[in-house]
Amino acid sequence: MVGLESGGSAPPREPRERVPWAALVAALAFLVIAGRLYQLQILRGDEYKGRADENFVKELRVPADRGLILDRNRRVLVDERPSYDVTLTPYFCGKGCEDVLARLSSMLALSPEEGQRARDRLQAARGLVRFRPFTVKVDITREELDVVEANRVPGGVLGGVDVIPTPHRNYRQGTWAAHLFGYMNEVGADEIDRLNADLPDGQLAYQPGDFVGRRGLEKRWETELRGVDGRRRVVVDARGNATGEDLEAELIPEAQRYEPPQPGKNLVLSLDWRLQEFAEKTFPGTAGVVLAMDPHTGFLLALVSRPAPDPNKLSGRITRAELAAIHADPLQPELFRAIQQHYFPGSTFKVVTAVAALEEGVFRRGGTIFCPGHYTLGRHRWRCDKESGHGTVDLEHALGASCDVFFYTLGDRLGADRLAAWGEKLGLGQPTGFDVGGETAGVMPDEAWYDRHIPGGYQRGMAVNMGIGQGDVRVTPMQQLVLYGALASGTVWRPQAVLRIEDDRGETVRQFAPEARFQLPLRPETRQAVLAGLEAAVNKPFGTAYGSRLPPEDGEMVGKTGTAQVVRLGTRRLKASQVGYFERDHAWFAAFAPEDDPQIVVVVLNEHSGFGASNAAPTAAAVVKKWLELKAQDEAERRGTAGPQEPEPAPAPSVPPVERPGAAPRPRGAALPARGGARGA
Amino acid sequence: MALELTVGGSAGAPRRLLANYPWNVAALVLVISALGVWNLASASRSAHAPVWIAQLWFMAAGVGLAAALAFFDDRTFHRLAWVFYGAVIVLLLLVMVKGRYVMGARRWLAVGPVRFQPSELAKLAVAVALARWFHDDAPKRRGAYGLRQLAVPIALTLLPAGLILKQPDLGTALVVVAVGATVILFAGVRWRSVAALLGAVVVAGVLVWPHLKPYQRKRVETFLHPEGDVLGAGYHATQSMIAVGSGQGTGKGWGQGTQTLLSFLPEQHTDFIFSVWAEEHGLLGCLLLIGLYLGLVTAALGIAGNARDRFGQLLAAGITGMLFWQAAVNMGMVVGLLPVVGVTLPLMSYGGTSVITVFLGIGLLGSVAVRRWVN
Repeated sequence: MVGLESGGSAPPREPRERVPWAALVAALAFLVIAGRLYQLQILRGDEYKGRADENFVKELRVPADRGLILDRNRRVLVDERPSYDVTLTPYFCGKGCEDVLARLSSMLALSPEEGQRARDRLQAARGLVRFRPFTVKVDITREELDVVEANRVPGGVLGGVDVIPTPHRNYRQGTWAAHLFGYMNEVGADEIDRLNADLPDGQLAYQPGDFVGRRGLEKRWETELRGVDGRRRVVVDARGNATGEDLEAELIPEAQRYEPPQPGKNLVLSLDWRLQEFAEKTFPGTAGVVLAMDPHTGFLLALVSRPAPDPNKLSGRITRAELAAIHADPLQPELFRAIQQHYFPGSTFKVVTAVAALEEGVFRRGGTIFCPGHYTLGRHRWRCDKESGHGTVDLEHALGASCDVFFYTLGDRLGADRLAAWGEKLGLGQPTGFDVGGETAGVMPDEAWYDRHIPGGYQRGMAVNMGIGQGDVRVTPMQQLVLYGALASGTVWRPQAVLRIEDDRGETVRQFAPEARFQLPLRPETRQAVLAGLEAAVNKPFGTAYGSRLPPEDGEMVGKTGTAQVVRLGTRRLKASQVGYFERDHAWFAAFAPEDDPQIVVVVLNEHSGFGASNAAPTAAAVVKKWLELKAQDEAERRGTAGPQEPEPAPAPSVPPVERPGAAPRPRGAALPARGGARGA
Repeated sequence: MALELTVGGSAGAPRRLLANYPWNVAALVLVISALGVWNLASASRSAHAPVWIAQLWFMAAGVGLAAALAFFDDRTFHRLAWVFYGAVIVLLLLVMVKGRYVMGARRWLAVGPVRFQPSELAKLAVAVALARWFHDDAPKRRGAYGLRQLAVPIALTLLPAGLILKQPDLGTALVVVAVGATVILFAGVRWRSVAALLGAVVVAGVLVWPHLKPYQRKRVETFLHPEGDVLGAGYHATQSMIAVGSGQGTGKGWGQGTQTLLSFLPEQHTDFIFSVWAEEHGLLGCLLLIGLYLGLVTAALGIAGNARDRFGQLLAAGITGMLFWQAAVNMGMVVGLLPVVGVTLPLMSYGGTSVITVFLGIGLLGSVAVRRWVN
């Protein structure tokens, strides 16, 4: 210590005597500082070097373009469009923020809730948060964009306002095939960790604000469609301002400055949008399904499932009220009827009864059954469709004219077990494997099933009902499609909608082959007999769908009508117009054509519309005819041009390029500048 | 009077001046000053004005003043001590009334176009005043000082320190107290008194704590947990340590410090200038600078040790204390050993008053050194 002594009588000692002590103190103090420097610069130098680099390197994401969804002719069905989102950065409007917001409010016609939300964000912005832009309104119209841009001049009345073009999913066809596509919306805070936990290799983690595929193909092929975001690293100063390219060149190695995004893969569907469009316009139903498939491959050609909510709305552009309205709609628009709803198949099921009866030997080919107009078992009497009775009918006539008594009889002879077993052998009662998720298996009730589900257990009369596709038999439209496709080709297919996956240059990265689940386990003569009945149904004057037969030059269509009772009604049949919508019967028609060389199999379900013959068959016939026309037309074109046509390149994204000063070179497909820019700390 | 102001006016004076002048101190001061200007030139790359040019002018003026002071006999300063001290107190009072507010504190006094901080001069004033008081008091004393006998020097120290604290400028007030304490300790204090004084400081700390400004308290709290609040009050400390640490062994090179260049360092021209040096020149540069400061402090202590009388010894010790405490506290703060208080690094930090004050101190050292053998 300096200058300490224990008193005494001598005069104070000379201060100079304390100099060595003072020098020692100084040396020790500087030694401590040097030691600390050694600790910071040598022992922890690497750590601090890293932190210094982190300080000035700001990573900006360059969002990858999501893959397109194309039809089989490479027509674009789903792509991206720019959504012009208006943001406000509190720091840059300063004291005038309230005024700027008021101006925006009138320019953009903000709703009271939007205005309130923006004011709240403004109030809450303190400190560094004031540098962070927040969204005032997404997806403004072109007119609003013009107004905002005209006023967004330096020193103008819209200080702090930015318009950020953000790529937004665009379902060009609105509600058409909407369930198949699915939709997208923002990833939730609660699921983000789960999503990131099992990311496939090479994928970047989801961040708040990212959109993620929901349902349908968007969800099923999320990984492929998503692509990998690129990265741009810029040098920023302490305020978060970008400093320019000179410093970037100096401070960030070339290779790290820009990693281009990898655009998502495109899905090429097996759907032919010309046929889809035709089916959508031709199908008269309020609710229902039209499915068309190539019976040789199992690839779908058209998929109408109605009603459907607009995926453009669902993708982050829906208000609470609109969403509530969708949930409250008794028609349940969110239901993907083609695979998620099962129905009584009605008379379309009679092919199963016929097959089972022939194969099980309870009915011999050439045999007949007398139809008096009703079938009696014990004290119970089942009515035939034709109250006067069909008289003596063989299988061809029974299928053609859809005689109920004939199939009551066969159902009674077979019993529920054998009927259900044959239903399953034909592909019913189990998911078809259509690969978008949420598929229901339908119901093929055997005796055990009845014992489990019905009070009192199985009774003989239940099989009678099953014989005509009522009772508790339930199938999805997709199962019907697969069943009739199997009758046409002999193969039970797994139905598919995606032909191949392409990269952004149009190169195929994955090709989907037809997938046969199994071959129909039928004797040829059984199939022959059933087909004869289906042919009669459309092409014989007594046939239920005779009115929908094709003109002779198109070949013969074979099929089966169905009218599925939804509610047990009184003893008298009523016309559709005489009962309320939800009590009306469902109309079915399942068919394929031409009979000798099937090109297309079609299933139409028109909910609550009445008779299959009048409300489903005409649509099916029109779709079949249209497809045959399209095939012929394509064939003619192919012959007209030399050799097979080159596939046209994938169309450029519809988002117009937006130039920004200092933007990194944009690779193909990266049409938008880095989101968020280099502003904000 | 004229004779007294130019004591040493005998024929041998100029030769003695040259022969006795503390050239080692002068050389160290000039080397540190040159490094300081060079360093400022790098630090001002990102600033709007090239402050190093202004600093050069301040230093030129400072060298002139220091040289001029060396011509005066240190007895002159003994005689003028009370006048100087009184003038500084008046200036400090004036600041309280007429000072300019800069960033919430009233530290600056404007005289025509010149703006300066009287608080900087207070460091010298305390050294001069205390040196005189002890010099005059010594003949009446027997043995070391007890606490009661130290009432006057303690009051002389605390008066300007209190006024400066009021501005508020905690850093400078602390340096003033440190200078006063250094002189007192050199004068000789009883062990018991020192213990009592330390106890008093602790008590004072406890009493003062509730009256500190929130930002001052925050700084002390932040010093205790710097990483707890990286974006808030800990920002200074954290960014400063990042700058220092990232300099590593040999530094990033002059003008290459990213923390400096991109303005991550707060107050990089003034209080945090050492972090610029550390970032760009690494541990080697830092050891060089610390060595220079240690050399300067020991050379100045040498002047104290060789001064002819009590006044000269204590004056030199006080000025040495000023240089040492500022350097140690500033570097300690930059490397995160001490809380962030506004103390400049002598000859490295930018600032006219600070530079002039240091050079005035050097001038006084020169004056004391030149007349060490004169009686």
